[in-house]
Amino acid sequence: MAKDNDTQSFITNRRNLLLGVGAAGSVLAAGVAGAHAEERHGEQVTDAPVSDKMLEQQPFNGQYQSGIVTPRPAAGMVASFRVLASKPEEVERLFKTLSARIAFLMKGGTPPALNDKLPPADNGILGPVVLPDNLTMTVSLGASFFDQRDWLLPHKPVRLSRMKAFKNDALDQSLCHGDLSLQISSNTPDTNIHALRDILKNLPDLIVLRWKQEGSVPVLPRSPDGTHQSARNFLGFRDGSANPDAGDTELMDRIVWVQGNGDEPAWARNGTYQVIRIIRNFVERWDRTPLGEQERIIGRLKPSGAPFGGRTEIELPDYAKDTEGTVTPLDAHIRLANDRAKGSDAHLILRRPFNYSNGVSKSGQLEQGLLFIAYQADLEKGFITVQNKLNGEPLEEYIKPIGGGFFFTLPGVVNADDFLGRSLLEAAGHTPTITKS
Amino acid sequence: MKLRAYLTASVFAITAAVAPRAANAEVSPLDLVGPIAEYKLFIGENLEKLVNETKAFTDAIKAGDIEKAKKLYAPTRMNYEIVEPVAELFSDLDGSIDSRADDHEQAEKDPAFTGFHRLEYGLFSQNSTEGLKDFADKLQADVVELHKRITELTFPPEKVVGGAAALMEEVAATKISGEEDRYSHTDLWDFKANFDGSRKIFDLVRPLIEKDDGTFVAKVSGNFDTVDKTLSKYKTAEGYELYDKLTDDDRTVLAAAVNTLAEDLSTLRGKLGLN
Repeated sequence: MAKDNDTQSFITNRRNLLLGVGAAGSVLAAGVAGAHAEERHGEQVTDAPVSDKMLEQQPFNGQYQSGIVTPRPAAGMVASFRVLASKPEEVERLFKTLSARIAFLMKGGTPPALNDKLPPADNGILGPVVLPDNLTMTVSLGASFFDQRDWLLPHKPVRLSRMKAFKNDALDQSLCHGDLSLQISSNTPDTNIHALRDILKNLPDLIVLRWKQEGSVPVLPRSPDGTHQSARNFLGFRDGSANPDAGDTELMDRIVWVQGNGDEPAWARNGTYQVIRIIRNFVERWDRTPLGEQERIIGRLKPSGAPFGGRTEIELPDYAKDTEGTVTPLDAHIRLANDRAKGSDAHLILRRPFNYSNGVSKSGQLEQGLLFIAYQADLEKGFITVQNKLNGEPLEEYIKPIGGGFFFTLPGVVNADDFLGRSLLEAAGHTPTITKS
Repeated sequence: MKLRAYLTASVFAITAAVAPRAANAEVSPLDLVGPIAEYKLFIGENLEKLVNETKAFTDAIKAGDIEKAKKLYAPTRMNYEIVEPVAELFSDLDGSIDSRADDHEQAEKDPAFTGFHRLEYGLFSQNSTEGLKDFADKLQADVVELHKRITELTFPPEKVVGGAAALMEEVAATKISGEEDRYSHTDLWDFKANFDGSRKIFDLVRPLIEKDDGTFVAKVSGNFDTVDKTLSKYKTAEGYELYDKLTDDDRTVLAAAVNTLAEDLSTLRGKLGLN
């Protein structure tokens, strides 16, 4: 997280704005304007809640896109679009505009001031200065993006497919698939919404929003000993205890990033496969299930997240000594997902989920669940294999996947002359127009 | 798609098109007098058609001729949809002529639910003209009153020019989904009238901005062409296919064109120096 001079100056600007320092301040003091300041006592009910994390910033430029191995902040969103850009020049404009907007939004800054007879350039929901607030926006392409463009079809990532329904799925087609997905995450939902509205405003002729799902992660107090804990899902269990170490770059190279040495197209190097699943949780029923049964279904102790017989969530269950399933049931969620047998490492995926809460079902139950997001270098050996192992698990009585899709996350933007999707366009024989930044 | 020149423009040109740095200061209020006068004539002609055709439509209902009434529903409405930016200035009449069931607490059963959609509900959903006589008389009286009020009205330039975008906003927000004509599914007729109404306004002021803002004019007119071309696929001898014939792909093309038109036309007032 960098704090450069630009962002420092936002703080100053913002403070000045908040304090009414400058021209407006002196006008108020002189009492010329039609408004005057009223004396107030202390904090007010409608004061904006204060955060000291608004300047947290993630890099836009890099070998990989941000938002994948980036620690997950409290607020997330996935938006899926139809893409109208069909010719190479149009796709280039789509990618370049996305790159330019995302670069601005992730860094923050002051949007241009326009004549007040015109709609403002920025939606303004974050105020006159946009602060980064730890924003990442991750762009990925669906199979249909390639299928509908003959000139891109030969360059489709080898394992990219349209998500098929798994055994327990009840997919709502209006919540599935898409030509392009945008994973947006930051410290606050408002920052995500601001970013989404900016993208929609800047690309109305090339993309049309199909569906979106917002989510959140419960926040914890900082632990006194500096240790970290996995966040809990809406089943009340720690989710991500067995996630591979995102700080281990060799491990990420193997599990997450497409490498240049396999059968994937060269342009896809440093990209990754993204899986989105909107998984409804039947939380009322879950909350009426005995604690012991909940724990046997998941395979972990609810308070600590530890495996049975363990004390902390990072301990590993020893299935070799428990072949009968007397400690951890053979059909427990975590055991089916990863049996820890030889070769199971090939199926590891990096999960980055959010919890969602949407309203009330027709039956008067809560529409809540998991906005499951996972990244992997091999979609088939990763999510598809793991989900097939989970088919039929006892947890299915409490969950129902209703939406989502498979996407390929583009490689990162390495420098100011680069843009998202450049390697793909070049592989397809399109030479991007040179624009000086 | 006929016009695609703008698609090759760089990121920076696009940002400039979406967010021009300054409104065009060259246009003086006097320049708008001609276009506004011509627009008033255009609205007058369409209102006369609205009054006459509503008469035929409501007469058919009162005569119990359900087939004829069903046939006249969509073409009659088009005359209202095309003048909507002006008609909407009279919110009482807009409510009684064009409100939808969802605007009323008791939906279709609500006594305040009147106008085109109440008649549409009777004709297409109930498949009957029974009980529609009073609603028919009320609609006819309302359009006559609307004609009268608009004839006496001095057209506010910002409302006229803003109407081009307002029509697109309506399509984008509550029509593209097919919820407007939910009993008859004749939404494509409405679309056509909304687009024509918007394009008329744009065409009238176009000479005032063409010289300084050729890229903008070309882009907007290209998107109107896209809409025309897409809608023309659904043209029939009588008018337009039913909404459910609209493919997902074409709906997406229309949605993008409408969103882009709404975005671009939202700058039209500012470009003409209007508040």
